[in-house]
Amino acid sequence: MSHFQSIPLPERRRLRQKQYKKHNLANILTHWFNVASWLMLLPTGIAIISSPRLGITPLWWQEAFRNLFSSAANLIKFHYTIGFIWIFILLFNVFVGFRKYFIPFAFHRMLLDKDDIQWLMTKPLQMFGFMKDKELPPQDAYNAGQKIYSYFVVICTAGLMITGPVMVFKDWFPPIVKQVAQPIHFVSAFTIVAWLFIHVYMGAVFPEEKEAFFSMFSGKVSAWYAKAHHEKWYNEKLKEEMQWEDEVEKEVEAGRHPQSETNPATLK
Amino acid sequence: MPQKNHYAFVIDISRCIDCRACLVACSVENNVPMNHTRIWVHDQGVQGEFPNLSRVFMPYNCMHCDQPPCIEVCVSGATYKDKTTGLVLVDQEACIGCGFCVEACPYGVRYINETRGVVDKCNACVQRLEVGLQPACEATCLGRARLFGDLNDPNSEAAVALKNARSVSRLDYEKAKIDTDPNIFYINAPEVETIKSTDPFGQMKQTDLPRDPHYTLSEDGWKKVLIPVMGAAMGAAFLVQAAFFTKQLVEGEKEFDE
Repeated sequence: MSHFQSIPLPERRRLRQKQYKKHNLANILTHWFNVASWLMLLPTGIAIISSPRLGITPLWWQEAFRNLFSSAANLIKFHYTIGFIWIFILLFNVFVGFRKYFIPFAFHRMLLDKDDIQWLMTKPLQMFGFMKDKELPPQDAYNAGQKIYSYFVVICTAGLMITGPVMVFKDWFPPIVKQVAQPIHFVSAFTIVAWLFIHVYMGAVFPEEKEAFFSMFSGKVSAWYAKAHHEKWYNEKLKEEMQWEDEVEKEVEAGRHPQSETNPATLK
Repeated sequence: MPQKNHYAFVIDISRCIDCRACLVACSVENNVPMNHTRIWVHDQGVQGEFPNLSRVFMPYNCMHCDQPPCIEVCVSGATYKDKTTGLVLVDQEACIGCGFCVEACPYGVRYINETRGVVDKCNACVQRLEVGLQPACEATCLGRARLFGDLNDPNSEAAVALKNARSVSRLDYEKAKIDTDPNIFYINAPEVETIKSTDPFGQMKQTDLPRDPHYTLSEDGWKKVLIPVMGAAMGAAFLVQAAFFTKQLVEGEKEFDE
């Protein structure tokens, strides 16, 4: 971040104070709804997988949840009831209720551009201590890493939402479909879990990205953070802001002349 | 922990006349669909040389094994070995009917009930045992070939018959790490290790029983490929995260760290 060193102190102070809105309330609510669902679905889902041959879940975990819900059947019913609520609300939010906060977002912010590819070639090496002096290309509202993560999340979420109901409506499907659905459900869930380690750490713990965590509640980030991490998006915001300022000035300009004759201030 | 009861079938082969009343009784008692059966009588054909001929019929159903391979593959734990009775049962509310266990059972006694989408098999009529009745197949057996009882109780009819038997054989399957230890004891007959399957329903393949457990591609691929791959992916992600977190803790952080 060498070029930030040329920014003088008052300007830096101003940038730290200034806030830009990054997340809409719709995105925030949907995000935390998703978190709450995962907190219920993941432990119960892990507890269901009790096959000794697969040997995934420790026995105490299986028994704790089977005892909590009184039987395997009830545990599974809880899992898929929460699952259906998750599917319904998430799909409703994204495609119906809050669609204008998600669908344009998907087209504009998921596609990788040249800078993103450059970023992907540099950043992982930097994380392991190479090419430290190389400047990272400017990033949009979501950086290339976040974009890649979003592909995995979208695909795996679709995988979970398709294979889950296949296993619930067991009399609608032949055995072979249910056989394939189980490993797909497993892989989809744990691919997301693998990414979650990174996602939760980067979002909530990693010092440089602290603001990202609070923005998931307030929706706002400081201009300084935006400039440092999402410069392209910051420039867009700046452009929007300047346009707005121009418009206001024009309005005031246009409003002054007819008003000036009746303005009590000028009459004095 | 030793289980309280050790329920087992003791079948006197010399008394079976292949009347198949047990098949009917079982299907009626347990609402088995018309195209399926939970119980068989396998005709082994005429054996021996004239004039010493005999014809052997093998009554056959779930062996309620001590170490059942079907339980090993059940993902949801719907199939379980009951701790008090030792019976291998299916919780059909938890079962999704994927059929991993149907392929894994060396005895081929499981089938998928297509209309309900669940696995079904002999449950030794637990619903009758609970009210003090005997399984339907035993209750209906004209020749008293089928006996069912608790082997932990030395005075039960089954235990006494087993003690006084001229010969005892089981269709034990022992290969690799699998040792089923079945709980159907065939008595008073030439000892057998495998039998021929003669299934009138076409539900069971015409093969020698017990057969090798078959693990489906989904189940085997899941165990051998997907679990190691996902374990590596999650391990790598966790380690990267943990390394950065440790670095963060060691180095500390300041609010005005830009």
